[in-house]
Amino acid sequence: MMKWMKLAVRNILRNKRRSLVTLLAIGVGFAAISLFRGYVSNVYSGLRISAIRGEGLGHLTIYKAGWLEKGKLDPERYMFTKEENEKAIHLIQGEKEVVLATPQIQVTGIVSNGITSTIFIAQGVVPKDDKTIKGAWAAFRPIKGASLDDKKTYGVEMAQDLAAFLNLASGKDGVVMATTLGGQMNAMDIQVNGVYDSGSDATNDKFMRFTYDFARSLVDTQSTERIVVLLHDWEMTEMMRSKLLIKLNQAGLNCEIKTWNELSLFYSKVRVMFDVIFMFIFSIVLVIVVMSTVNTMGMAVLERTREIGTLRALGLKRRGVSLLFALEGGVLGFFGSVIGIILHIIGWTLIRAYPPTYTPPGISTPVPLIVDLVPEVLTVLMLCLILLSLLAAIIPARRAAGQNVVEALGHV
Amino acid sequence: MALIDMKNIKKDYFLGEAVVPALRGVDLDIEKGEFVAVWGPSGSGKTTLLNLIGAIDEPTEGFLKIAGQEVRSLSDNQRSELRNETIGFIFQGFNLIPVLSALENVMLPLQIQGVSTATAKSKALARLEEVGLKDLIHHRPFKMSGGQQQRVAIARALVTDPSLIIADEPTANLDSETARMIIALMRQLNEKEETTFIFSTHDQRLLDRVRRLVRLEDGRIVEGGLSL
Repeated sequence: MMKWMKLAVRNILRNKRRSLVTLLAIGVGFAAISLFRGYVSNVYSGLRISAIRGEGLGHLTIYKAGWLEKGKLDPERYMFTKEENEKAIHLIQGEKEVVLATPQIQVTGIVSNGITSTIFIAQGVVPKDDKTIKGAWAAFRPIKGASLDDKKTYGVEMAQDLAAFLNLASGKDGVVMATTLGGQMNAMDIQVNGVYDSGSDATNDKFMRFTYDFARSLVDTQSTERIVVLLHDWEMTEMMRSKLLIKLNQAGLNCEIKTWNELSLFYSKVRVMFDVIFMFIFSIVLVIVVMSTVNTMGMAVLERTREIGTLRALGLKRRGVSLLFALEGGVLGFFGSVIGIILHIIGWTLIRAYPPTYTPPGISTPVPLIVDLVPEVLTVLMLCLILLSLLAAIIPARRAAGQNVVEALGHV
Repeated sequence: MALIDMKNIKKDYFLGEAVVPALRGVDLDIEKGEFVAVWGPSGSGKTTLLNLIGAIDEPTEGFLKIAGQEVRSLSDNQRSELRNETIGFIFQGFNLIPVLSALENVMLPLQIQGVSTATAKSKALARLEEVGLKDLIHHRPFKMSGGQQQRVAIARALVTDPSLIIADEPTANLDSETARMIIALMRQLNEKEETTFIFSTHDQRLLDRVRRLVRLEDGRIVEGGLSL
């Protein structure tokens, strides 16, 4: 095999300029895909952390079976009772992969500063658990003022646009109104502990965070809407979903479990968008690589017709001729990918050294453009382009192999 | 048994709807160890005849056996194997692979056969030494004279120890001195190894050295069709 590989490399070096253009086309295409993939990988990773930590979704959210479909119509029936909640949390925390399991409840209603009122959506969370879920991410979007506090149940956190609209800053008082699960209107005094940036224009004007106890008092219930589970490793999400579902069902707790990516609409939509863009770029590069390789190999077949005739006369079979040219295509793909990796590393280094920033649509603050260096992506892409170049070379290779030996020998 | 056995071989070429007969019923047999020249005017069918004997072309009609194998019944792959193992080619334009050195060119038929590199190398070196190119083994064809290239081509044709060597106008592109050397070399190899040589030529010096002349005219053998 090595001797044919050597022959393929020498044939590629025969027309240096043409081969260089093809190698550059493959290399630039490779770098375009890999840099974009590196950027997308960083965005996915950022969005994942943002969804799990920032949005406080954790890795898994456990609902009582039927909540997602009929919970709004008959909430009390599809919420965990106090006993069920305690039992479930005990069972979940028995798993070594689990960092914590915490109850949550969502409340919607009207918030007022005494003069102006507007709607709000609030998550009722256990403050210390919420702190654990946020982890280091909290430093990324610090709260102006104080966080939620178990000892001050009426203290709330308010998203920045909502706070600005109501002219409520840290330490200011207000009132929240919501319908209890029994259908009565309830109102409670609040004090703004802190003001935070939700990270999204769409939620910054309506989001609030209550303590879990305060939220339950507002809607007058002892039940829990959901249990949020934080894992040690996000890659265990699917495995733990299945495991916990079986465990809870076996314990008589009929549940349904959603993963963080199923619940984060923003993550899902961004992912779909980037996947489409990636496929679009990949398709363009695919066409460039295939066209360049077909053109180069087509020219090579034409120029080397007499040689093909000679090789056939010496006893090389049609398949051998096809393989020889396909191998040249593969070698082009290999060296093109090596150039692509070099270009990727140069691009990656420059972006790391001078990271540009941009403000994505719907996001309230500029974010740095970071490209990840993902060796797996580079390896897979390299294999893809080698295979693609090899396949692209098969078209002219088959033409070469199919030539009549006498005509090929007589070719001038 | 004759090495080459041809009976009533016809070969037609098709130019659009027109049929151009190149061979019009050729009977020819060649025994092992013969040194045969095929000659005749341009368009008489010399090259077509050699192409058929070399199993790189198929007759339109007739019976053709090479080294005991009926060529028309062989698949393309079987014909490739027959060429590789039984026949050596020497071309008018030398037809060396330009990206390979003299040694690598000579090793090529053995490598196509799947012979190990070490064995191919030692056999190729021996053949190159035989044709007097021991010192030029690493030279690429473009760094060699026409005569040297043709000697590499002869070494390449001989390296698989074939029963038959086919040479199409082997001296046409060479000066007189080199042509004489190539003729002498071919003759010597024929006598020493009993390798059968069949070649087409117009070169009188070569015609003077052969034991058997096959003369073609208008696609028919007019002289020397049967072995002496």
